[in-house]
Amino acid sequence: MALIDLIEESVVRVPLAAVGKDAAIRELVDTLVSAGKILDAETAYRAVLDREAKGSTALEEGIAVPHGKTLAARELTIAIGISAAGVEFGSMDGKPTRLFFLLLAPPDKAGPHIEALAEIARMSRSKAFCASLAACRTPSEVVRLLKDE
Amino acid sequence: MTRPIRKIMVYVDGSEQSITAAQYAIVLAKTLGADLYALYVVDTRALAELVNSRIFLESEQEEYRRDLDGDASRYLNHVRELARRKGVPVAAEKASGAVHVEIKAKVASLGVDLLVLGEISQIRSRRDELYNETERAMRTAQCPVLVAKGEDKIWDLYESLE
Repeated sequence: MALIDLIEESVVRVPLAAVGKDAAIRELVDTLVSAGKILDAETAYRAVLDREAKGSTALEEGIAVPHGKTLAARELTIAIGISAAGVEFGSMDGKPTRLFFLLLAPPDKAGPHIEALAEIARMSRSKAFCASLAACRTPSEVVRLLKDE
Repeated sequence: MTRPIRKIMVYVDGSEQSITAAQYAIVLAKTLGADLYALYVVDTRALAELVNSRIFLESEQEEYRRDLDGDASRYLNHVRELARRKGVPVAAEKASGAVHVEIKAKVASLGVDLLVLGEISQIRSRRDELYNETERAMRTAQCPVLVAKGEDKIWDLYESLE
């Protein structure tokens, strides 16, 4: 399944209100709960926090890819968040993170999980595209940009 | 004239589309009297890419590699069971590496006459076209390729197979 097939306005949070790392993760997980993608927010939240405890998933240029395996997700699911001010997420270049791709997958869906993460990795290499994404002001702009890419 | 399709290989990646492709390959193998092969490729290239981009830790790469191995065994067993129900022998194989490269290599080494793939996700961009592994397998395999579309029809064909 292509990453784009998972993206709809209900899983996009713009702007992300959180100012801290844990709160940003919580807000993205709650977005997935509101969208009906996951049932148990606490289990999903813990799965992502446990992964972050091993090392930050914040890359360079204001992008982070928090992820986790959890039974709280019945299928591979993604939330996208954009923070106007940026969140201190422990990035490699020390810059605040503005663009978040949070992925959750059940433990028996490693293949699609890897495929989606790899797709984000490739997308994150385009600085121009990420800058355009981070500049979006509404969920519909985000979806339009990703689907028109 | 020799039979044009004596060896059929289906690529299974765990998606519903690839399971539908497996059902169709079973139908074809039984109808044509062809040998059937099923291949799952553990995508180690994608894993390495995630470590290089620092989305994955080294330890995570190994953990997901084990998960993918588990997926491979599970889905290949599922295909074996689907084939067994219809009395079709299947040789199921697991490979690792870049998906389209491994498919191409297996097609060549087995002398496959027909590669069966699951329906391909809608290609929405040039990037999709470049990176979608099923799409790449379709373009690079050196044999006729069949894309199994029409889940309901294939299900009916599979179910009605004696």
